[in-house]
This record gives sequence, C-alpha cells and structure tokens, in this order.
Amino acid sequence: MSTRVITAGTAVPGPDETSTLPHPSAPRHDRQRFQKASLPLLFPAAALLIVLFLAPIAYSFYLGFTNLKLTGATARHHRFTGLANVHRLISDGVFHESLYLTAIFVVGSGVVMTTVVALAMAVAMQRAPAAVSGVVGIVVMIAYMIPPVTIAIMWVAAGTPGGVITMLVGQSQADILHTYPMLLVSAANAWSLTGLAMLLFSAALRNIPADIVEAAQLENAGAIQRFTRITLPLLKPTIVTTVLLISLMSLANFAIVFLMTGGGPGTATMILPVYSYQQGFFFNDLAYGALIGNITVVITTIFSALFVRFSRRDS
Amino acid sequence: MQSRRRARRARATLGALLVSALAITSCSGNESGGGDNVIKVAYGSDYVFLSPDLAKQWWQKVADDFQAKNPGAKVELVPIPGGFTDIVSKLNLLYRNPSTAPDVAEIPDENLAGWVASEYLHPLDDYLSGADWWKRFPDSVKKQNTVNGHVYAVNHGENTNALWYNMPMFTKAGLPVPWEPKTWADVLAAADKIHQTQPDVWPMWLLGGTSGGTSALQFGAANLVAGSSAPTIFDDKTQKWVVDSPGLREVLAFYSDLAKKSLQAPSAQLLDPNNVVNSFKLMADQQAAIAVAGNYLGQVWTQSVCSPCFPQAPQTYGVAKLPTVNGTADPNIASVMGGWDLTIGADSKNPDLAWKFIDTAQSAENLISVANGAGWVPPDQSLWSDKRFSDAAPPFNEFFANLLPASKPLPNIPDFPVWATGLGMATGQIIQHPETPIDEAIKVMKDYVTGQLGADKVQTVQS
Repeated sequence: MSTRVITAGTAVPGPDETSTLPHPSAPRHDRQRFQKASLPLLFPAAALLIVLFLAPIAYSFYLGFTNLKLTGATARHHRFTGLANVHRLISDGVFHESLYLTAIFVVGSGVVMTTVVALAMAVAMQRAPAAVSGVVGIVVMIAYMIPPVTIAIMWVAAGTPGGVITMLVGQSQADILHTYPMLLVSAANAWSLTGLAMLLFSAALRNIPADIVEAAQLENAGAIQRFTRITLPLLKPTIVTTVLLISLMSLANFAIVFLMTGGGPGTATMILPVYSYQQGFFFNDLAYGALIGNITVVITTIFSALFVRFSRRDS
Repeated sequence: MQSRRRARRARATLGALLVSALAITSCSGNESGGGDNVIKVAYGSDYVFLSPDLAKQWWQKVADDFQAKNPGAKVELVPIPGGFTDIVSKLNLLYRNPSTAPDVAEIPDENLAGWVASEYLHPLDDYLSGADWWKRFPDSVKKQNTVNGHVYAVNHGENTNALWYNMPMFTKAGLPVPWEPKTWADVLAAADKIHQTQPDVWPMWLLGGTSGGTSALQFGAANLVAGSSAPTIFDDKTQKWVVDSPGLREVLAFYSDLAKKSLQAPSAQLLDPNNVVNSFKLMADQQAAIAVAGNYLGQVWTQSVCSPCFPQAPQTYGVAKLPTVNGTADPNIASVMGGWDLTIGADSKNPDLAWKFIDTAQSAENLISVANGAGWVPPDQSLWSDKRFSDAAPPFNEFFANLLPASKPLPNIPDFPVWATGLGMATGQIIQHPETPIDEAIKVMKDYVTGQLGADKVQTVQS
C-alpha cells in the first residue's frame, strides 16, 4: 500500500493510474513552471516594456520631484527638489478641485451613465429581432470607433445655441455646454463608451443559462424579479470588470474634455489629465505637471489591479 | 541532443538580433544636422500663417533666396505642426538637446525672456549694427526684442488691435460714420444704441474666459488693460504680478456693463476654445456690430487668403482706435502688440550663416509677403505705406500698422500664462454670470494667481 500526499490543486489519480505515478523527483506536469529557455524569447517583449513603458514612467516619477520647467532658468539645469512639489500639491486648491472633478467625471460618465445605458440597451436588445439588434450594435460601435475630435465637435455643436440638445430641452438659444459643462463632457464620454460596454453585457447575457430563467418562469417569477434575482447576480462579475474598464478609459480621456472646454469655463471641467497638461505645457511647469500626471498613474494602477483581479475571478 | 542544438540556434538568432539592433541604433545615433554649411530652420507650419500652404511657400522662398545668395550653404527646414502650445513645446524640446536644436527658429515673442533664461538663444547685438532694417523698427518693438540689455530676437511680424465697427449697422442706428470714440463710455453708448435699434445683432464682440489661452487675451481683455488708468501687469521693480488694481477693476467693470446690459456676444461664442479663429467667419457674416480684434481680419478676408472671402469688407467695416478708459492718455490708444520673432540658437555651430538667413528673411519683399500671408504688420516702418502691403488689404493694413508705435508689449516671462488664466477666469465669470460683483471677480483672479504662484509673487496696486 502506497501513501500519497495530496496538496491543494493537485489532481487525484484514479485507481488505475496509481501504477503510472511519477517519481517524486521527476518533473511535474500539473502546473506551469518557469523555464530558463523561455528567457531569450521573453527578452524582446520585456525590453520593449522596460524601454517604452516602465522607464518613461520611472523618469516621470523622478521629474515630479525636480524643478524642471519648459522654459526659464531651470529648463536646462534642473535639480532634485525633494518634496517641494508635493507640498505645493497638498495646498493647491485647483488640484483638490481637479481630484473631485475627476471622480465626478469617472463615476458620473463611466460608472453611472455608461453602465446603466449600456446594460439597459443590452437587455433590450436581447429580445429584439436579430436585424434590429444588429443595426443597433453597428450604430453604438460606430460611436465607439469615432475619433475623439469628431465626438467633441459633435457635442459642442449639440450643446451650444441652435444645437440638438438645446432644441430638445426647448431652449434653442441656451448655452448648455458652458452652463452645465461637466454634465455635457460626461455625456459625450459616456456616449463614446456605451457601445463597448453594451457589447460586453450582451455577450454575458447570452451566457446566462436558459434553464435557470425557465425555472424561474415556472415559479411565476415576474420580469423584474428575474432581472434582479437572476440576471443581475449572474452579470455581477461582468458588471464589475466593465465598470473598471470604462473607468480606466474615462480616466485617460483627455481629448474630449480638452477639445470641448479646455478644462473650463474657469476650472469647471479641469480633470486631472487636463490639469497636468495645463501645468506642463501651458504654464511651462513640467515638473509639477509630471507630478499631477503621476497621481493619475497611481489611480490608474489601482483601477488596473482591481480590473485584473476581478477579470481572473470572472474567468 | 536536439534540444541543445535548438538552444544553440536560439542563442545565435538572439545574438544576430542584438548585433542588428546595435547596428541600427548606431546608424540612427548620428546627429541630425549636416555639415558646417547646413542650417536648421524651425517654424510653425500650421498655426502662424493664415494657411499652411502660405507658410510652406514663404519659408521655401526664403530658403531658396538664401541658398542663391550663399552658394554651398544649405537650409534644412523643420516644420512644426499644431497650435501655439504645440509649437512652443516642440521648440523647447528641440532646444534641450544641442544635436536637435535649430540654428534659426521662429518663436512667439511672449516667451522670449523665458528662453533667454533657459540659455537657448544667441545674442544678436553684434549682428544688428549692420542691419539697416533694424534701424527702422519702432522703439516699442526693439524693446520687446530686448532682454537684460541684449537683443535676442528680431521681430518679423506684429499684431495690433483696434475697434472694428459695422458701418451699415451704425448708419441704421443713427451713429456717426466714421466713428471715433474718445472713451470707453462712448463705446458702451454706441453698443447700447445698436442693441436698442437692432436687437438681433450682437452689439459687442470682446473675447474673455480661459479657453482661448493667451491669444484670446491678446485680442481681447489685454487691450483694455493697456488702456486702463493702471496698466501694469508685471511690476519690474518688485518682480510681482498685479492681481488687483484700479486698472483691472476698470476692465472688469467694462465687461460687467456689457454683460448686464446684454451687449455682449453669446457666451457660447466668446468662451469657445477657437474663439479667435471663429471670429473670421462670424465677422464676415456680420453677426457683431462692434468688435475688439486684431489687424488680421482685413488680411484673412482677402482673395489670396480667403478664410472666408469677404470682398465687401472695406465697404462694410470701419476701424477706429480703441480709446483709453477716460480718453486722457496721449496718444489715446489702447492696443497691445504680439507677434513672432526670428532667433539664433545658442548651440548653433554656424551663427554667422544663421544670421545671413535671418537677414534674407528680413528683406523688404519677404517682410511684406510674410505680413500679408500671416496677417501681420511688418515691423519695418518704411514698409507701412508700401503699396505691396497697404494695397493688400486697404484701408485696414496701413491703419493697424500705424498703431504699432503706441502699442504695448505683453510680459514675455514664463509665468505670464498663469496671470492670463487668472484674468480669463475673472472675465469668464462675468460673461457667464453678469451679476457677479467686481470684488468677487477680482477675488477669483487673485485667489487663482496666488494659489498658482504663491503669495510672494503677487501684489495689489492701490488707487
């Protein structure tokens, strides 16, 4: 009689397999392990990642602790200034406002607007005739594929006097863009991302087992009950990963906001990427702009880590 | 055995790849410049001229002229696409590395002192003694090109500002044509009369807000600051920015009067990031009765630029000097100037040849063609009545050229955009919320500039 130690994740061999058990010192095939031979193959990708991604980010973090300017005495002869920029950041009222506005923009447009609209459309399309859902799918994907410049121009035209939105609200001469700037740039961002989110939700909806839904119907569960008790719980992993993905994309969305309002009026839409650009390239303060950019990188990294974690759990 | 062979082959392949990569990088590591007789000339290819084609043609012609005059010399043109900020950023990045630094560059004069402090520019004093055209520059332009007692740039075109007024609308309102307002109150009264007689017309086009950047300030509020009773923006003695003064309060009060009486253009137009360029068409469409705007409008509407074409402009629009607040200044002109300069890089290996290029670019013919192509006034006073310039956009070109000696330069130090943003926030606040008290608008500006630059960099000027 042989004794076997079964560890977590180890497959238990059946009775007829015991005779073929490998020797304890033999290489194991039940999990992937690091192979030195893969190093040369990984080298090109690793080198590109280090040179084009990690090194610039590390340099940007370093710049955030210097006094580098685009023009002026410290443009060529900058030096390490420790936490001077961080102290300035802590007392910078516009930065505090920018953090708040970024949260509003990401949560408002990414989490609320995009997710709710995309989920509603995906559920509606589930029962729509194939032709209708096909056309809607194409239309929303076009919105996703359109360049940010075009989206910005469209939404500026729609939100200023004579535009579609002003007419829809019955005030054709109203300047909605500058009266409710955050609402409009958030709507433009959500409009551009809804197509992607809808596709993700549609795919997840198709994977919900029909027998569970049928069983609920047999138990006289109504549409709302089926949605809240079956659809939403089963979609939860997809909703979480989609929200994180859309949040990441919204955090990086500089172009639409900058082109529509330039961060204004005043500082009304001064989200972090726009403020970083303003400091670095308009106010010539590259170091402070880099520091603000680094804050965005940290926030993005947290979202990315959450995204990866939930994606793995989902899969 | 087979795996060992495979590993050897992989190592050989990797080695070959590394050698190839090294070879490629060593080839591309050469400096971008050519020999001693090659000069690199960097210029804004999209933004500076009124069209990219005109920019390309002008710079190529200057390069051809230069090469014809200097056999063996070559010009490497380095066009920089994009807007104002893109040009400034790209030039700064090029200057940071001596191997990419241009020998000659076209720079906006609002950045000059910052670039001198960066040690990017070569002083031009020694060359200027032999340049006749420099002697014909107005003192205001010479001063603008001077930093710490040395000339580091030579202007090759300026913008000046004044009032454009729609003559048919003025006639309909019973206002005099030609119109010569003496004070800001006269301007407000005319706008009010227009509003009463023609309610569908925008009585006044006066840029404000932050989205248009320093360009919107140059073609808007800065002119009023220049014509106020306390026009100081940056105090050279204290090295501080003025964030509250009787002059700034007069400017904001003017905006407030316009807004409260519904005399301003719609906020959607005034606060648009492209407000300066948008005005080309809005004015040609005769949307506004009076506008504070630059000289460029006349040239924009000519057949050669046509952006848009507006051949009826001389019969439609009159131009008048923007007066100072109470009309007491002599001359009674409120105008700021701003333009583009030519410079030689401090790292240039051949500054003498670079100077010869600038000298060629500053010939009468080239200065006139760049002025007509970029919407400028040539800095050489002898060219203002030259038919090639004055007849290109009559009567506007000569009128705006004659404003140049009395026009004031804007500060050319790196923190100027912060102050400009502060004033833009104050004017934008009033444009959007007409009931904003002047004290509150001043506070918006003061808080912003103080927050960005520190309390030790700002000051209040008492009345």
